[in-house]
Order: sequence, then C-alpha cells, then structure tokens
Amino acid sequence: MSEIDRTVTIRNRLGLHARPAGEFVKTASRFSSKITICKGELEVNGKSIMGVMTLAAECGSKVTVRADGDDAESAVNALAEVLDTEFGDL
Amino acid sequence: MSDPRLLKGIGVSPGIAIGPLYVMSAEMPEITHRVIANDEVEAELFRLRKAISDVRREIELLKEHTLIHAGKEEAKIFGAQILMLEDPYFLGEVESLIRENQLTAERAFEFKALEVRDQWAQSPSSTLRQKIADLTGIQIRVLQALVGGSLEDVLHEAGDRPAIVLMRELTPGLTIQFEQANVSGLGSEYGTRAAHAAIIARSLEMPCVMGISGGIDHLRRGTMAILDGTLGTILVEPTEEEMAEAQVRDGRRLALEGELKDAVGQPSITADAVTIKLRGNVDLPEEIELVAENRAEGVGLLRTEFMLIGRNEMPGEDEQTEFFTRIAKWFPTSPVIIRSYDVGGDKFPAAFRSQREANPFLGWRAIRVCLDEPEMFRTQIRAVLRARALADVRFMLPLVSQVEEIERTRDLVTEESEKLEREGVEYGADLPLGVMVETPAAAMMVDQFAEKSAFISVGTNDLTQYTLAIDRGNARMANRFTALHPAVVRLLKRIVDTSNQERLEVSVCGEMASEPLSLLLLIGLGYKVFSTSPVALPLVRWLVRQFDVFTAKSAADVALEAPTARDVYEVLEWRLRDMIDPELLDLGPLPG
Repeated sequence: MSEIDRTVTIRNRLGLHARPAGEFVKTASRFSSKITICKGELEVNGKSIMGVMTLAAECGSKVTVRADGDDAESAVNALAEVLDTEFGDL
Repeated sequence: MSDPRLLKGIGVSPGIAIGPLYVMSAEMPEITHRVIANDEVEAELFRLRKAISDVRREIELLKEHTLIHAGKEEAKIFGAQILMLEDPYFLGEVESLIRENQLTAERAFEFKALEVRDQWAQSPSSTLRQKIADLTGIQIRVLQALVGGSLEDVLHEAGDRPAIVLMRELTPGLTIQFEQANVSGLGSEYGTRAAHAAIIARSLEMPCVMGISGGIDHLRRGTMAILDGTLGTILVEPTEEEMAEAQVRDGRRLALEGELKDAVGQPSITADAVTIKLRGNVDLPEEIELVAENRAEGVGLLRTEFMLIGRNEMPGEDEQTEFFTRIAKWFPTSPVIIRSYDVGGDKFPAAFRSQREANPFLGWRAIRVCLDEPEMFRTQIRAVLRARALADVRFMLPLVSQVEEIERTRDLVTEESEKLEREGVEYGADLPLGVMVETPAAAMMVDQFAEKSAFISVGTNDLTQYTLAIDRGNARMANRFTALHPAVVRLLKRIVDTSNQERLEVSVCGEMASEPLSLLLLIGLGYKVFSTSPVALPLVRWLVRQFDVFTAKSAADVALEAPTARDVYEVLEWRLRDMIDPELLDLGPLPG
C-alpha cells in the first residue's frame, strides 16, 4: 500500500470539462487505488464524473492527483498523462 | 416607452413561431418527503436501479435521434449525460441515503442532485454553470421515471394548435422531444447561444429565444404570442396586424431560404455582370462534400490542424499526401489551397508544446513555429509537393510578417523538391506559395511580398484583432471587435490595391466574407475572390447576385472617409437596403 500524489497543469484549452473529465474518470476507474483529485481547497473522488466536473479546472490551472493503493504509482502516471497530453479541440 | 407586451431575450435559433403559449413552470415533479420502513429498503434500491436503466435507454434513443436529425457533435451532449447518469459514486451516495436514512429513491436522488447543483451554481466557472442544464435534464427524467408523469402527457394537454413552450430552463433532451411533438417555438429564462439546447434548436431549425428577462411565470397558458428567434423577442397578445406582419416576415425568411437554394445553381456574378470567385474553407475532412455540393470553385483554405487532434506523434508524409490528394479529387478543375500548420496561440499539439507565454497570440505561432521546427515543416512540404503531382494544390503560409519567412519557406520547398527528384518520387514543380495577410505589418508589406509569392489571402479575423489590439475571444470587448473599424477598412483597401498593381491574386478567407455588410464593403473595395465556410456559401452566392459593383464601390468610397465604425456600418446598411430587404438578414450588431 502506498500513497502517491502529483501536481499537474491542465493543458486542455477548454479545461477539465465534460469530455476530458469523462476520459479522466474512465482511466481512474481502471485502477483499484482510491483516487482523489483536488484543486485548491476542493477535493473530489477521481472516479466520479460529477465530482471531477465540480472542480471546473480551467486551462492553465493546477490540480493534484492522489492515489492510494497497490497500483498507486501506475495510476498517477496514467492520470497525469491524460491531463497533460489531452489537447482536444483545436 | 417600451411595449409591456414585448419580452426580450437572445435569439439563439432563427425563425418565427406564432401560437398559444404553454408555460411549463413545474417541469420538475414535486417530491413529498416520506420515510420508508426497514424492510422496504431493498425494493427501493431496486426501483432506483430500474429508473436509472430506463432513463439510460431514453437518453440513448434521444442520442440516436439527435445523431440522425442534428449531427454528431450534438449527439455527444447525450453521451456526457449518460456518463453523469451512471456516475457510480453519485449513485452510491444516493443508495446510502436510502439505506441509512430510509429515504425514498426519488427523495434521495433529488437530495444528492440538489447538492451537486448548488455546488455548480456557485462555481465561478461559466462552463460548469452551463452544465447545470444537463444535470436538470437527468434529474427530471429520473424523478419522472420514479413518480410517473411524463412530458408526453403534458404536451398532449397543450391542444392541437402548435404551441410555443416557455420554461425556466431548456434541456437538450426536451428540445429534441419538443421537435417531435406539436411545438413550433421554444423559450427559456436561462441559457445563451452556447447552451447545448440552443445548439440543438439551431440544428433542428426550431425558433428559440433564451435569456428571457422579466420572468415568464405571470404569462397565462393559451395566450397567443409571436416568438421571433431571429430578433430574440416574444410578443404576447399580438394584434391581428402584428400577427399578419410577422407572418409576412416569416414568409420572406422562408422565401429567402428558397432563393438561397436556387442560387446554388446560378453563376456567382453581380447584378452588373462582374464575376466573383467563391471557394470553401475546410476545417475537417467531412466538410468537403458540402463545399462541392454548394458548387465552390475549389478550396480557398484547407486547414491542417485537425490532423494533430488527439494524437501525440505528428502525421507522416504518406498520410498527408493521401489526404491532400483525396480532397483535391473533388475539384478536378479548381485549386485547393493548403495552409501550413497554424498551431500556437491557444492551440498546440502535444509534440510541440512550448513554454507558457505571457502573450501567446503575440508569440510562437503559425509560420514562426513551422520554421523553427523544420522536420515537421519539411514533412508537410513534401506531402504538398507529392500531391501536386496529381492535382492543383497550392501552399499558403499563415501569419507572415517578414519577407524572410517566405524566402526561408521557398528554400525548404526547393530543397525538398530536389530530394524528391533524386529519390525518384513523383512531385509537382512550381508550387505556388501564398501569403496570408493577417497583421498590419503584412498589410504594409504586400508590395515586397509580391516578388516572393504567388497569391495573397486576407485573414480578416486576425487582421482585425491585431490592428485594433482587441482579443477576438474577449466577450467584454465583443462590441468593439469589428472589421468595420475605419483602420481595418483602410488596410483592406491598401492590400487589394497593392495586390492588383502587382498582379497578384488576392482573396479574403475570413468570416467577414460571409456577413452581408462586410461582403458589400469588400466587393466595393475591389475584392473578387472569397473563401467562406461551406454553410455560408449559398448566402454569399445569393448576396453577390443581388449586389452591383457600382453601388458597392460608392459605399466603400464613403466608408474609406468615415470617422467611426458606426458610420461605416450605417453607410453600408443604407446602400444594402437599396439592393435587398435587410429584415431578411441578420446584419449583426451596430458596433460601438
């Protein structure tokens, strides 16, 4: 069991809105670790689309992804990649 | 004094509807508070799950219907709703309220939905507040599935005359259902042009007004009204004359639609027989068919950025060659003008992500990126050269501000041509290299560009933004952002005059060419080649056929002497009135 976190800057121009949020949740759900994502004071469950949407993380804002469990490290890696490589709607 | 019968809002989907009002004030079913017994918990959980799966099926159907009648992008809205509906953590919390607090399924669901809604409503993010309509859509459906009472029942009651439905908030799903029912117009207190429901209403050609101010609750069911989705107004208790007048106006609008259809088959010549060349802009490959259907003479702007969407590696040479050739096949006798990657600013592929810049629109973008990333640029150039072996493709550079940028690109083209020659790969010689004029710097340098390039294309949005130092995406500045500013008008004049002196083909490929007033101005200034979005092509062709160059020129002459954008607008509007009925058209807001 381990807990890992990483802070990432949102690159998607439209921010973490419905579609990229869905992508994030789908990826998070592949891991058994407990996953949270927080922006400022707000912390939400990373496997809940409603929660992730609530963050309303705009382009350029920083969020922290935290995973707690056996596959924490690979979860954080995969999720950081979703936030970083998704450049969506050109 | 304003007319107290007139409600004002934002027109989000054009057209006129006349009919009795149907105010849906209680769209959300009333839920009474009731506590269940311990042994009822399992049954209640079962009811919840069944309701969720029923609603899922409903939304799937709406999604399919939307896909067929509106489009792929619109259908995605429902994909997001399904994800929200099935959010396991949200449902988990609803279930624990049922288990631990012994609430009914509907009460528990409503409670959690209100919690999320409150949180979203307080968010500073307007994007998130827009999504509340999606949440409402789901909530209504789930509650209705649980307590009964459906929209169909309500609509049935509305009577047999096509009704105008007003509600506090319009959801995408309801919009689709209204279209299938006996409804001729829609209005809501919340929402803007960007709302999902508005997008769908436009696709379905359902007149719609949003952001109605002054409230709708005082309106009586069955009151006659005229809803005007073009002007964004609702007139209640109209007189016979007003209804007749609206009908005439709507008739003319429909007649215009008919004329636009007919115009597609006609040559694009002005009333005084000057030939105007019309081409299409292509953002995505699927748009090409519409460009051809609307009988454009080739593609004036083929954007290449879509090839970078959603991938981390750059597209290869073969892939690009194949794509350019496939597009060009649609136009055996006309050119296809390929624009090199216009990346940067606010759009960047993963492979070339740069440092965050303080002013991205004044930074590393467009031709500047291409020249600094020669591998990427050479691959694109090779693909264009290879496509030119088979078709008349040409190459255009965005955001040029220095002669050296053209020279360096020309050198790359020469080097890659020689390499292809040595490799024995077929390619087309003499690739015409064009320059996009999008900055005041470029506008002043057209005579120098002329020696190095084959054609000039004016990007009016960027030219306006850089001339006026106004961010085109800044809503606060929206009323000052206008291509009719005299400074822009004068630059446009300079560009066309210099190009003509130098015998360079000059075209306009910005949005400006598809707006009636500015098209009149451009023709008056001497432009004869335009490239617009495929949907705008029939309107532009029709407008060209109504205009005469003589009148356009006299309007442009006055515009060149005008002190303000408002004066430019007024002279153009006045001359336009001579040629067409401006009530038929959306002329855009008066700048100022």
